[in-house]
Amino acid sequence: MRIDKFAVNVGKAVAVGAIVIWSLFPIAFIIMSAFKPGQDIFAVPPKFFFTPTWQHYDKLWSDWGMFFNGLANSTVVTIGATVLAIATSTSAGYIYSRRSGRFLDASVLFLVIVRLIPPIVVTLPLFPIINAIGLNDTHVVLIVLYATFFVSLGTVLMRTFIDQIPQELDEAAQIDGASRMTTLRKIIVPLAAPGILAVAVFVVVFAWNEFLFAFIFTSTKAKTAPLVISEMIGSIDGVDWGVLFAASTIQLIPVLLFVILMNRYLVAGLTAGATKG
Amino acid sequence: MRAIIKSIAPDVPFLAPVHILILSVIVIPSLYVAWLSLNASTFGQTPTFVGFSNYVRVLTDPAFLRGLGNTVLIVVFAVHLELAIGLGMALLFATGLPFRRLLLVVVLAPYAVSEVIAVAMWRFLFDPDVGPITVALASLGLPVLDWSFEPSHALAVIGLLTIWLHLPFTFVILYAARLAIPKDLYEAALIDGASTYAAFRRVTIPLLGPAIAVALLFRYIFAFRIFSEVWLMTQGGPARSTEVVAVYLYQEAFRFNAFGTAAATAWIMVVASLILAAGYVLLLRKQVVGHAH
Repeated sequence: MRIDKFAVNVGKAVAVGAIVIWSLFPIAFIIMSAFKPGQDIFAVPPKFFFTPTWQHYDKLWSDWGMFFNGLANSTVVTIGATVLAIATSTSAGYIYSRRSGRFLDASVLFLVIVRLIPPIVVTLPLFPIINAIGLNDTHVVLIVLYATFFVSLGTVLMRTFIDQIPQELDEAAQIDGASRMTTLRKIIVPLAAPGILAVAVFVVVFAWNEFLFAFIFTSTKAKTAPLVISEMIGSIDGVDWGVLFAASTIQLIPVLLFVILMNRYLVAGLTAGATKG
Repeated sequence: MRAIIKSIAPDVPFLAPVHILILSVIVIPSLYVAWLSLNASTFGQTPTFVGFSNYVRVLTDPAFLRGLGNTVLIVVFAVHLELAIGLGMALLFATGLPFRRLLLVVVLAPYAVSEVIAVAMWRFLFDPDVGPITVALASLGLPVLDWSFEPSHALAVIGLLTIWLHLPFTFVILYAARLAIPKDLYEAALIDGASTYAAFRRVTIPLLGPAIAVALLFRYIFAFRIFSEVWLMTQGGPARSTEVVAVYLYQEAFRFNAFGTAAATAWIMVVASLILAAGYVLLLRKQVVGHAH
């Protein structure tokens, strides 16, 4: 019996080790390589001890100045899309939580289904329209597109979270003369904060990392960081891996920390988002 | 009708923003694509109605069929392998691990990584000349993945990448469902003399069934639209051999300006997604109907 238990524990430890390496090795590899001097990047087996250097960051700064514009654009677009998605989904989620009826139920179902349409489908008709109205290569386009592809999930999530707030609270507020808008702002929003954070995790990660829409709808002024990095990958005169890793590290660290800090909300959001309709 | 309008009138200002976004960005453009798919058109030319001939052209185009084949290959292999790994991990976590919260965060980490950076990592790790994995495999005398020339190797690398990026999602869905199974059921099974395997067969699998189905459907839908990983890895090359449906659509629309066939491809994607979505909605109806007032 004892040996069995020991064997089981060893098996588990090996499995856990494999999971950790699988999840973290690629990430750690990029971040470490961004600080490795010259040829050390290509050493096999990878070097874990080396004299850290900022040389790739200096080169990134001097050769790829537009990467930093890309970061600024990504920041604007991410904040804009998150605010828009949260504001619209919270107000819709509030109504879907408090009211019911055939029409409303049908419209939730509609939201759930629409969410499953592939984004590339809409690029086809939107491309000429966005060009025609002069919105090509602007932050607004990306903000609206990113928010829209998350308002369905956002609304369903907010409804689920607002369902847990006792309805007596809004009734009490309304007896005191609060309008529905005031109730939403003063009672619901503070209590539904976990839901808002769950929606925020989804939108922030998506908007910060998105490639397809940025690739199709931006060219110079509004180009986001992932797009600039993709240009480094496709660079004709060969990839400068050190610079590419430096840029990737700068793009990755903030969103990685964000996901780590918000892991509870991410888990709650993923579960509720997939199993509630 | 008037009664319905009157009863929802006060709700409209709250619901309108979400629905205006969805209608103007997703629904109306999608319907326009449907109309476009029945016409022949390109830049600066008035569309002319051609019925279903765009669909016929797409469905008989070897490039599309290869793209469809590649997509199905990725969906079938990557998604099921991912499910198996995710399920194994969920069950492992449920046996009780030390530092569980920390390990959970570790598993979630790839969720934060963009497709672009994931491709950069993979291209380096598997680089045919300097990639550490290539060099390591070669030094052990094992065959290396020559993904820049060999389409099947490229698809394998893309499949692996897709699993790496999406495993956190599959894992979380299955782990949450596993945690929701009451402990008493296992105790009861134990008292009845059930083996661990029997408990797994008779308790875990049936109760995880709905979660497995949900995770699978979501991953089918999302894997079917795969674009960035493939585009950034191979651009569909060499010679269009690693294209997937979404890359084919992009090429038709933005490289060849063939809007009719691009639109037909788009609607094929919409219909396939909606069929899978219908399965998802049926599942939700059956299991939860959880939104009680």
